[in-house]
Amino acid sequence: MIEIVHPGIMSLVINGGRHGHREVGVPSSPALDSYALNTVNRLTGNEDHAPAIEVFGEKFSLRFSADVCCAITGARVRARLENRPLCSWMSFEARSGELLTVDEVMEGFRYYVGFSGTPVLEKVIESYSTNLECRFGGYRGRALQKGDRIDFENIRMVDVRRIQEEFIPGMNQPHTLRVLKGPEIDYFTADSLDGFMGDKTRMVFTVSTKANRTGIRLEGNPLIFRKGADESIISEGLLPGTIQVPADGLPIIQLHERTIGGYARPAVIAKVDHDLLAHLKPGDSVTFKMIGLEEAESLYDRKMEIAALIKNGHRRQQCGNL
Amino acid sequence: MNISRYGEEGIRIVFGEEIDFDIHEKVRRYYFFLKSLQLKEITDIIPSFRSCLVIFDRKRTSFDTLTASLREKEFFISHVNIPEPKTCDVPVEYGGESGFDIAFVASHTGLSEDEIVEIHTSIIYTVFAVGFMPGFPYLGILDQRLYVPRLETPRVKVPKGSVGLAQLQTGIYPFDSPAGWRIIGRTSKKLFDYNKEPYSIFQIGDKVRFKSV
Repeated sequence: MIEIVHPGIMSLVINGGRHGHREVGVPSSPALDSYALNTVNRLTGNEDHAPAIEVFGEKFSLRFSADVCCAITGARVRARLENRPLCSWMSFEARSGELLTVDEVMEGFRYYVGFSGTPVLEKVIESYSTNLECRFGGYRGRALQKGDRIDFENIRMVDVRRIQEEFIPGMNQPHTLRVLKGPEIDYFTADSLDGFMGDKTRMVFTVSTKANRTGIRLEGNPLIFRKGADESIISEGLLPGTIQVPADGLPIIQLHERTIGGYARPAVIAKVDHDLLAHLKPGDSVTFKMIGLEEAESLYDRKMEIAALIKNGHRRQQCGNL
Repeated sequence: MNISRYGEEGIRIVFGEEIDFDIHEKVRRYYFFLKSLQLKEITDIIPSFRSCLVIFDRKRTSFDTLTASLREKEFFISHVNIPEPKTCDVPVEYGGESGFDIAFVASHTGLSEDEIVEIHTSIIYTVFAVGFMPGFPYLGILDQRLYVPRLETPRVKVPKGSVGLAQLQTGIYPFDSPAGWRIIGRTSKKLFDYNKEPYSIFQIGDKVRFKSV
């Protein structure tokens, strides 16, 4: 069992997402950095899409009341278990009564805390992920608070280890996000598209303070609508990572919480860079670079091949339920 | 029908350019056709006013393979069982604190509040899409006389059950939600139950009748 001592700025239970019900508006609400989720689960001997805690902000702290293996991935943090220093992308054994504290986030934004067991929580619409807006899934449909306790079953100890540096993605700004053409690319002038995601001097955008788990609003030079182009579209199905541009011309990167949208879509973030979206924090600089579909596919496939090289934590002994 | 690719995993199947009942019927028919195929390589389908967005699993198929296979099976569309639309009554408390934008709608349209209610309750609406958030029905087509623009800056939160207008659409927010539509009333009807399949009381094609209470 764990007890939240400090939730950071925000922490919530997530997993690989809720799929197959977007036809009635149910968004997938997955971990924003799926590579980090998969890796924290490899380190703790779970299935890749198993639930973990997604956190942003410092001071996150929890107390263990069982012996368990634990790991942190995603943003690079400086943490400690009691007074023993820890960092991200490694697993460690925690003993009942010990306190885990995250003191500093050094690179990136969101980090993932995983455990070598299965949390005793109810799945809602086939998933452990929290839908914060509609208040279902995860831990009572809400962000974690001080004093919340989560039980675990099927706890086992796994060998502790550290992910090699070459498997840890860079998360520092400025971020360059690779994009594909979106359905309404023609709504915008060629010049403004060139400045937005062309080959030469690309505009630098700044992540607004109005960024959350639903979307990331950017500030900078607005995109210009072509003469005669509508400033909105008839509402239509949306893919995660779509860049939507409302009438003010400032792009919004839609994350996973919306299934339908009504703004023009000049571009879509290539899947290979979706995980990086978890690490865009207010004030960060962002540029966009257009690539082709084939390149996008092979970049993503390569990323998956590399991820597959990270082995699962080994079972050493069964500790049963605690 | 126009098929195009959207991102790595999306197929946009577009049936027309406007909000129209014939186009809606084509979308609906195609959606039930896709569902009837029960293809593992399709992870999600999002039908809306004029298109179906198919989200596919690139580990199982490719854009070319899947679209070719859908084209081959198209002859089957006319044989697909399309469910009869359900009609659902939605009781609404119009105006007052529940419908805090009704005064704006009155001044914008030149109608009285009673006339707004009468016009809004006089049509049996069609569910053109469900989404953006769980269970939200995009309903149409609204009487021209009730045409109002969206808010320029959406509200951070409107209460669950709020009934809104935007252009020629009306809709109901199943949860507390950010909203850019003009709110004219509120219903106590539960639109989405995450504990019980099929979760949303509406699916594309269903009919909705508002009743003033």
